[in-house]
Amino acid sequence: MVSGADSGGRAEATGAIATPCAPDLSVRLGNLVLPNPIMTASGTFGYGLEFAHLAALDRLGGIVTKGLSLVPLRGNPPPRIGEPRGGMLNSIGLQNIGVEKFLADVLPGLGKFPAQVMVNLFGYEFDDYARLAERVDSFAGIAAVELNVSCPNVKKGGIEFGHDPVQLERLVRSVRDVTGKPIAVKLSPNVTSPVAIAEAAKAGGADVISAINTVLGMSIDPWTRRPSLNTTRGGLSGPAIKPIAVRIVHDVAKKVGLPVIGIGGVETVDDVVEFLLAGASAVQVGTALFRDPRTAERLVDGLASRLVEMKIERVSELIGAVRPWENA
Amino acid sequence: MQPIDTSGRVVEVVPHPLPYFSLVLEGPPAWRETQAGQFVMIETSAGLEPYLRRAFSVHDVSKTDRGARIELLAKIVGPGTREMAHKRAGDTMKVLGPLGKPYGAAEARPSALVAGGVGSAPLLLLGRRLLAEGKRFDFFYGGRSAIDLARSAAFAELARESGGEFIATTEDGSAGERGLVTAPLAERLRQSAYGKIFSCGPMGLLKRLAEMSAEHSVPGEAALETEMGCGYGACLGCAVELVDGKIALCCKDGPVFACETVKW
Repeated sequence: MVSGADSGGRAEATGAIATPCAPDLSVRLGNLVLPNPIMTASGTFGYGLEFAHLAALDRLGGIVTKGLSLVPLRGNPPPRIGEPRGGMLNSIGLQNIGVEKFLADVLPGLGKFPAQVMVNLFGYEFDDYARLAERVDSFAGIAAVELNVSCPNVKKGGIEFGHDPVQLERLVRSVRDVTGKPIAVKLSPNVTSPVAIAEAAKAGGADVISAINTVLGMSIDPWTRRPSLNTTRGGLSGPAIKPIAVRIVHDVAKKVGLPVIGIGGVETVDDVVEFLLAGASAVQVGTALFRDPRTAERLVDGLASRLVEMKIERVSELIGAVRPWENA
Repeated sequence: MQPIDTSGRVVEVVPHPLPYFSLVLEGPPAWRETQAGQFVMIETSAGLEPYLRRAFSVHDVSKTDRGARIELLAKIVGPGTREMAHKRAGDTMKVLGPLGKPYGAAEARPSALVAGGVGSAPLLLLGRRLLAEGKRFDFFYGGRSAIDLARSAAFAELARESGGEFIATTEDGSAGERGLVTAPLAERLRQSAYGKIFSCGPMGLLKRLAEMSAEHSVPGEAALETEMGCGYGACLGCAVELVDGKIALCCKDGPVFACETVKW
């Protein structure tokens, strides 16, 4: 070996350079502490347990369940997905097993993992959200609730509340009144001012902002002339929407003063670092899991290596550490 | 068996001719267990188009010293399949599988295997299985033109070895009988009784075959193709509507469905 040319090899051989301490990946979302900032996004990982044979659940920082409603939902008719360049267009329509089946059959199995379990809740009626939150409140295995007020794929409920600051504040307050668990509110990007919506959520008592849900989109097959989705319009996700998500995370983190979970096109360690710099305290991996079910655990390892490379001891040091241009 | 997420090494790409081709991949011993009708999710491109993996029926399986080879029969229809067709021996590709529910058992009476175009892919493995079980089958292969009947010789050989017939049809008459593949099938359904109709192809063909199954009281099993996001039951994108009003997932509950259960 040429002297000094390969310090890594030499360190290994002589033990002269101590192995750097494993960086601290833990992050806080209000009162909630995650072992690491990598979570799975609602609707992309089922209820968590189905994929135990494909992904190492014990490595995740948090799991957000598929959106749960009071009663099971059948979802939208097919076709439900389209694939524009660099992303995915979906109109699943919140097909889910319902909150009761989740609590009885799924939740007990999730208890053995260190990941914090966040249940995503969806309602058609205003009162549904508080009823759902009240129903799950006594379950110790549920660390937090995430309110879906931004799904573009159902005509009624949800998005009605997520686009109107006045209604949203009331809705969040109705949930705040019935649960002591941290409340995350998942924002729609399809509004003029996501910051105003986030402020309303905060005023209602939200602890965390999840940003963003899918971007409303549409695609048409040039040969069959059919929209790729049965519902014509649907939600765009994947790498195509990342810059939109980074912008909203940045603005909300800066102006609202609540911890933010960054969602939208997270696939690489660079993506994670970018969201953290923009102000996210954690990220959710979504569509990338469909391409590779092991994306989330890969990001946990990759982030640890990246921190070592950057000589940063705690991942929290990156949160909001974007360096704005001097004239900005 | 549980599907495994692994990488396969490209052994060769065989033009049939283009736009049809076979991609042969070498991988772990677990692939040997692949059953007729099952599929794999392939990352056709490391880039962003297409972003998601693509589902391909396993066309053939063979054992190697240390593992197994799977052959996928595909048609170039977009950027993903184009990139696949340009793979070279030694390249690696991400493969998740085998996935899905295979074709069920044949009846005592001979079976009809019906393929429309590249929908023939899963029927080779089925033909091999029936032959090994000593069951006779006729193979009906329809396409627009002669070029759309990829791997005809292999299908014909299997059918004849089983004691059955191979019947090809093309819409332009460039190979086999002129017309749709349902015509010779209808003729034979009137003369002799099949035990089961196994099919794969475009939705229009599968729907017509389901009607014929019902008319002649011959059970049918069809492998469906839908838009698919993940292939393993997470995205709920590959919904199939059933006659009982329920929603099934093509990737988990299928891709093979009993024809009478599907709302066509």
